[in-house]
Amino acid sequence: MVRLGRLLAGCAAVTLVLAGGRAAAGPLDTPGAAKALVCSACHGFAGQSPSDTMPIIAGMLPEYFKKAIRDYAGGKRPSPEMEPYSKMVLQFGLDEIAQYFADQKRQPTSIKVDPAVVARGKAASTQCVICHGPDGKGDPARGIPDLRGQPPAYLRSQMVLFKADQRSPGDDALKALKALFKTLPDEMFADLAAYYSSLR
Amino acid sequence: MKRMSRREFLRTSALGSLGGLGGVGLGLGALGAGALGGCATPMKGDIARKSGRRVVVIGGGWGGATAAKYVRLGDPSIEVILLEPSREFVSCPFSNLVLSGVESIQALTHGYDGLRRHGVKIRHEAATAIEPDRKRVRIGEGYLEYDRLVVSPGVDFQWERVPGTGPMGEGILHAWKAGPQTVELARRLQAMPDGGVFVLTVPPVAYRCPPGPYERICQVAWYLKTRKPRAKLIVLDANKDIVSKAGLFKAAWKAYPNIDYRPASNVEKVDLATREVTPEIGDQVTYDVLNLIPPQRAGQIAVQADLVGADKRWCEVDHVTYESVKHKGIHVVGDATIGLPVPKSGNIANAMGKIAAVAVVHLLNGKQPPQLAPGNTCYSWVSNTEAIAVVNSYKIENGKVVQIEQKLTPKQSVEVARNSIGWRSSIWSDVLA
Repeated sequence: MVRLGRLLAGCAAVTLVLAGGRAAAGPLDTPGAAKALVCSACHGFAGQSPSDTMPIIAGMLPEYFKKAIRDYAGGKRPSPEMEPYSKMVLQFGLDEIAQYFADQKRQPTSIKVDPAVVARGKAASTQCVICHGPDGKGDPARGIPDLRGQPPAYLRSQMVLFKADQRSPGDDALKALKALFKTLPDEMFADLAAYYSSLR
Repeated sequence: MKRMSRREFLRTSALGSLGGLGGVGLGLGALGAGALGGCATPMKGDIARKSGRRVVVIGGGWGGATAAKYVRLGDPSIEVILLEPSREFVSCPFSNLVLSGVESIQALTHGYDGLRRHGVKIRHEAATAIEPDRKRVRIGEGYLEYDRLVVSPGVDFQWERVPGTGPMGEGILHAWKAGPQTVELARRLQAMPDGGVFVLTVPPVAYRCPPGPYERICQVAWYLKTRKPRAKLIVLDANKDIVSKAGLFKAAWKAYPNIDYRPASNVEKVDLATREVTPEIGDQVTYDVLNLIPPQRAGQIAVQADLVGADKRWCEVDHVTYESVKHKGIHVVGDATIGLPVPKSGNIANAMGKIAAVAVVHLLNGKQPPQLAPGNTCYSWVSNTEAIAVVNSYKIENGKVVQIEQKLTPKQSVEVARNSIGWRSSIWSDVLA
């Protein structure tokens, strides 16, 4: 009896090994997922950043992602943090990594914002809707990103860079945006950031 | 030969790092219920019969916890057992800020439930030996079989290289593994008289966290400048110069005239009774508070298992799979490794843990592992509000990790400090959530 039990157990084990373990594809199964492994230390697993300062790149438009990487690598978006990593992305495969993040489901940030600050931001956002839409969804056809649910500190940090023309200087597509920011007081940025972060 | 009890063995191997402190205060798990009380009776024989493919992970720190989680993400049909004596994860990154009172130890302390949610089976025990030929990890007289083993043992201290210290560093505070020693060192710093002398020693490279001692110097100097303006901080650095972010640290230190930095001053001996430290070159110093950071090597289990090289210090590994060059089937990640042009950092350990996990999953499924490289983002706080950073990225060339680029922040700033808070919430989640 004992020998039969052991034999059956042995067969089950062999079957399990031959079957390769599992049927469905897991979250690390695409080549892009493996190449993007390093990114999760700052941007969260599958690009779902839990932080306030690093953006959520899950579900990012591929062309927007690729432009960001190229600009970081070329020194057009000054960032000691992102420059070495953007060169790493270029080394390992920009298209694959961009597609991997584009394919990931985006959740809004878990960072909380003050409703009073959000209300001020909403009131200040009347000109932003021209490009970013009434709901903050942006416009993929024009490469305008979806701002909804991005962490507020990240959004604010980019506004500071736009106003100082330190993000992609000379980029025609950003001319109108930067001209607008030059007219806004710095104190407004936290309000706008909180508002767009709160959108779902 | 006198038989060592399991209690004695565990104390000397995995837990010796707590020195003579007695494990009071926070992080009790390591000495309290964790290793010694978690199991009522020591087990013999096969502790948990293996029915399918299993990966055992030794060490639940930045490398091991990450590796355990990512093996589960890569292939949930693989059983993962993690051996970690402590019931809590306390982050070494940011622990220097506990000394200055800028941060609390609680903010750096996390549980392991996130790993359990991924199906990682955690045993709060220390591995006592590895039997590579039998593919078993020993826990006292019990054992666990494995198909592949990941060893992430961190560092242990070479007390034998610091005459005047006991074999386990009794009476010396290194606070180089965050937890009770961090809290105790903070307490001693706060209790120091104004006009007192704080002595910090930096070991010769290679050691865990190259900029760590220099960040600690900033935090202690800032604290003293603010609270004990007549106190001094004497640094005996075994190295010829600041080892990491030198220009940025020197700029930061301009704000701290209380720092007396002495390079090329390797510690020759310590006298705990007379409170004196003697460097090989230069004057003897007398301290009110001593933070001696000793020379380091791979964690004890790596030495026991002969995963280390001829000098018995660090483990050489394959740059793509992190498989030990000495024992097949065993992967080593984190501070214990050598030969890659990367610093010994938590971020690197986290990256290695992920890459090794993916390699292990591929190998167990009969597939060629992808060629991936780590990256490192490293922040140092130079005051209570500002920080600096160095960032390195890498690639694989002819099977070896090669640096693509290193970049430094141009200057210290509140913005970089803010980014570091963002980094920590992301990476702690990556390791543990």
